[in-house]
Amino acid sequence: MSEQKRLHPAVILFDIWKVLKEFLFFIIPGFVILSGKVLVYYLLILLGCFIIIIIFITISWYRYTYRIEKDELRIEQGIFVRNKRYISKHRIQSIDLTQSVLHRVLNVVKIEIQTAGGGKGAEALLQAVPKQEGERLRNDLKHFSEPSIKSFEHERPSRPSEKISNKRLWIAGSTSGGFGAVLAVLAVVFSKLEQIIPVEIVNNIVEWIMRTSIVLMSGFILILLFILWVLGVMGTVIKYGNFTITKDDDELLITRGLLEKKQLTIPLRRIQAIGMKENLVRQPLGYVSVFAKVAGGSLESGEDFSTVLFPIMKRSEVERFLQIFVPTHAEVEERPLLKLPKRARKYYLFRSMLPALAIMAGLLYAIPDYFGLSIVLVVCSIFFGSLQHQDGGFCLHGERLTIRYRTFSKVTMRIHRKRIQAFEMKQHKLQRLDNLATIKVSIIGMLGSGNHYTIKELDDEEARSIAEWYSFQTE
Amino acid sequence: MALRNPPRNTIAKDSINVWKMTAAIFMIFFWLCLIGVTVAWITFEFPYGYLMVAWGIGILSTYVFVFLIPKLRFKRWRYEVFEQEIYIQHGIVMRTRTLIPMIRVQHVDTKQGPILRKFNLASVTISTAATTHEIPALMEEDASQLRDRISTLAKVDEEDV
Repeated sequence: MSEQKRLHPAVILFDIWKVLKEFLFFIIPGFVILSGKVLVYYLLILLGCFIIIIIFITISWYRYTYRIEKDELRIEQGIFVRNKRYISKHRIQSIDLTQSVLHRVLNVVKIEIQTAGGGKGAEALLQAVPKQEGERLRNDLKHFSEPSIKSFEHERPSRPSEKISNKRLWIAGSTSGGFGAVLAVLAVVFSKLEQIIPVEIVNNIVEWIMRTSIVLMSGFILILLFILWVLGVMGTVIKYGNFTITKDDDELLITRGLLEKKQLTIPLRRIQAIGMKENLVRQPLGYVSVFAKVAGGSLESGEDFSTVLFPIMKRSEVERFLQIFVPTHAEVEERPLLKLPKRARKYYLFRSMLPALAIMAGLLYAIPDYFGLSIVLVVCSIFFGSLQHQDGGFCLHGERLTIRYRTFSKVTMRIHRKRIQAFEMKQHKLQRLDNLATIKVSIIGMLGSGNHYTIKELDDEEARSIAEWYSFQTE
Repeated sequence: MALRNPPRNTIAKDSINVWKMTAAIFMIFFWLCLIGVTVAWITFEFPYGYLMVAWGIGILSTYVFVFLIPKLRFKRWRYEVFEQEIYIQHGIVMRTRTLIPMIRVQHVDTKQGPILRKFNLASVTISTAATTHEIPALMEEDASQLRDRISTLAKVDEEDV
């Protein structure tokens, strides 16, 4: 496959649409402001520009070619300045095929190729190629130790694969903490509405709300919450619908998305840590989501700062799942975690109560009527503080460090010693008097930055035992 | 035994002067502003109470940032380079001890700003794939020796990461 190829001509349309979208903002005011002869000139100029843009886009589409030669993906592009980019097969970390709705109609795919360089290194984006061609390209560019075996993919024994069931998808949606995000979006929408709707109407509405009884108000709030919940469910279903994970030799293949199908490849050797997350709703129901921290992952998968390996499963199913898909991180038998000492509790309570107390003081000073509300807040903060203390812990076993912490959700991370880039132990004066210490382990994160995991107020002897486990110096 | 004792080596004594100077430069700006405000205050005959507080804060923070902190910082700053790992301690209120295995070191740099150059000092920056660590003020030749030493030690025993 060494002949030069061009992208699907649909790219021209995509690009034109993109340019239009960006300039619409500048074009529309012209129509509103101008009139008569000036408007005609304006339209003519616009038309001229438009034609030039179309010509440019067409030429640049024509000049954009790709081919595979000598184990390299060679992309050439540019109208005035010729730009050649050769990406060696062996440097490619991931090849993602995605399809938007528009792509699907045209039966084309978008190919994103990531290399180890992370953000600025050689990367390639093929906007649209015919679907079969895209899949062939991916197979050609995959580098495996024995490429000959690879080409007989269909004859190999079936690969382990797991798909999310509709019931689970439903549970995932209704227990997702996506509320917050939806709430934020709605808040933005409302704040914009306020600018559009005249002030008097807003005032009238506010007055009306004030007059209606508390019962009605709480009814409205309940309905609003219900709508938010439904939106959360829909969001999850759209995002994780058809979620399938497949293991293929030394990489994991994930496809997901109800409307927009997304594909993701994770080479196993780039996994830095495996995590399990339980939010407040899922934890009592015994459900967790499993995710991986992957080095140099694509931006696309960075939406949660980690890659979801499976959106939801029972806690008891996790080990079996890991055994199949990421056997290096599976735990054969349950090991109890070493908990935080009792004397650490006051630090946790203090930290979580501090903002609540500050708000309480502020409310007391500004609007004493709402003082009751702040008491609820303080109670919540005490609840969270003690949960955070109760859930914190770690376990050392062989080459693996397991740590557990909670900010809002309970997170358990399994990290191998050779993935830890640096280890830190911190103590301030009070902690030293209490024989407590904070530890921080760092692993490689997205786009060249690190992921850092902190457990606060461990027993300092235990913290040192982790340091000794980690230390490479033998003396 | 890891992290039980502080690292052995201190950084250059002149680091105190470097930090003093850096802090002094910031404080000069602060004092210029304060003097300006004072002049305005006196011309418009505002009450003097707030002014006294501002001067109090100025004097106190000058003492703390220029005279106290650099000394404490020097006292706490320690480092030691073993064959297999680098061990760093710093932090006045929050004492931090860091372990960086040699095989995780990606590159080592020496850096020298104008103030460091004045005292013939340089800083050494150690980067892993996830973190960066700086040893702030070493004698120039010590810094370059350390950089070379770490980079040779780091080269040995490459593992796949």
